[in-house]
Amino acid sequence: MAGAIKKTTGLTGLAVAKHPHHTLGVLYGKILRTLQKMPEEAAYRKYTEEIICERAEVLKRNSSVEGVEKQIKCGQVEELIVQAENELILARKMLTWKPWEPLLKEAPANQWVWPPAKPPKTG
Amino acid sequence: MASLLRQLARTVRPSLVRNGVCSTSVLYKHTESTEAPGETRPTVRKPDLLARSQLKDFGKYVAECLPKYIQKVQITAGDELELLIVPEGVLPVLQFLKDHHNAQFANITDITALDVPSREYRFELVYNLLSLRFNSRIRVKTYTDELTPIDSACDIYKGANWYEREVWDMYGVFFANHPDLRRILTDYGFEGHPQRKDFPLSGYVEVRYDDEKKRVVVEPLELAQEFRRFELSAPWEQFPNFRNAPPAAEEIKVEEKK
Amino acid sequence: MSSHAIRAGTKQVRPILSTDRHEARQRVLNLYKAWYRQLPYIVKQYDIPKSVDSLKQKLREEFRKNDHLQDIRVIDMLVVKGQMELKETVNFWKQKGTFMSYFKDTVEPKPKDFLSKFLSGHN
Repeated sequence: MAGAIKKTTGLTGLAVAKHPHHTLGVLYGKILRTLQKMPEEAAYRKYTEEIICERAEVLKRNSSVEGVEKQIKCGQVEELIVQAENELILARKMLTWKPWEPLLKEAPANQWVWPPAKPPKTG
Repeated sequence: MASLLRQLARTVRPSLVRNGVCSTSVLYKHTESTEAPGETRPTVRKPDLLARSQLKDFGKYVAECLPKYIQKVQITAGDELELLIVPEGVLPVLQFLKDHHNAQFANITDITALDVPSREYRFELVYNLLSLRFNSRIRVKTYTDELTPIDSACDIYKGANWYEREVWDMYGVFFANHPDLRRILTDYGFEGHPQRKDFPLSGYVEVRYDDEKKRVVVEPLELAQEFRRFELSAPWEQFPNFRNAPPAAEEIKVEEKK
Repeated sequence: MSSHAIRAGTKQVRPILSTDRHEARQRVLNLYKAWYRQLPYIVKQYDIPKSVDSLKQKLREEFRKNDHLQDIRVIDMLVVKGQMELKETVNFWKQKGTFMSYFKDTVEPKPKDFLSKFLSGHN
């Protein structure tokens, strides 16, 4: 089967990618550039960079699509493209949300207590 | 989630990466028994210890990535992960859980709420998510009251549309930017939000067919309230089997940085 | 110092729709006008034994019921519910009986004096 042209991904609505290497490379580049704008110590940036760099490395090492899929082990290459697209959207939104900042506000007392705490007796 | 674990495993075994095997391909080895040791009763579900430790790690991971929104991370019922977040953080947290490589909770299974009138914010909103990729579930909880709007998750999850209408109909929680917020379960002309704790058991109005008018009429309902004070405490113990029950939730400590 | 005290006394809340009283008022008036314009069509559509004038009077009454409200968020919430109700009415999702429930024409007035209370069994 190796070398045969892939006809379908077997997943509804997911077409076979024509140039998976190129697409993935561009997407990973875009994600990394978006991450550059985040502060160095942000955990999200750190972890995402780690994942992306790793995947980009695998992509560079393997010229065949099967090799990439086998080594990343996260689905077919088309699914990898979808994942990268999602991550890119997320990373861009994260720039406006800035989730690495300290906690917005603490929950009111007894908010997360279960079973619910009795209300203070008034009067 | 499993991928996260693999990530952690990689730091221990970097040699595999050099062999040309990507870290995300390092599979976790099932070496130890995965069942809780103490539990022997056949009718009680045994929490999966492996899944539990993975969930713990994932909870810490999310809390580290989104410190702005996550108030608390806890495990309930043995192996169910819960993220307790600030109301403003619904969209960022859900978007992160859906789109991040290590999460991919692409499926929303349910949105619901619960009403605890004694709290400052009486409604608790619950989002249940499912990740098909990592075969794992997560629960996101936040809070609100009758007048505080919550951002609608419809832009992130298409399936949230009807669930949010349901919550609006049953609890009266307003979702901002919802494309089509209206009643879904109750009848047109229904008054009140039935799942609120202060909603009377019989409702506010009753509906009957009027023979004179030849149509259905709606009339306010009155029930005598004199005998509605119930004494619930009893001299004996109601649930002796649960005397030593473990607490409902176990908090996962998230270490503060710096 | 005093401003600090004021800030501590007032709670920061998220608006539902309007940010100030003027805007909330405008929304209420818009809703009123929308209802007002629909009344002739409602009479025709629902085939009810009411004139447009009595519907106008009813509309006024329903809005007057809440004219004591000061909290912008409560007003907004009522406007939202009023809009939903208008939509249900205009799209004919409601039925005749449901729509006529605004008039409460089968509800007997509550007994007020002693004798009628006694006769109806209430005390």
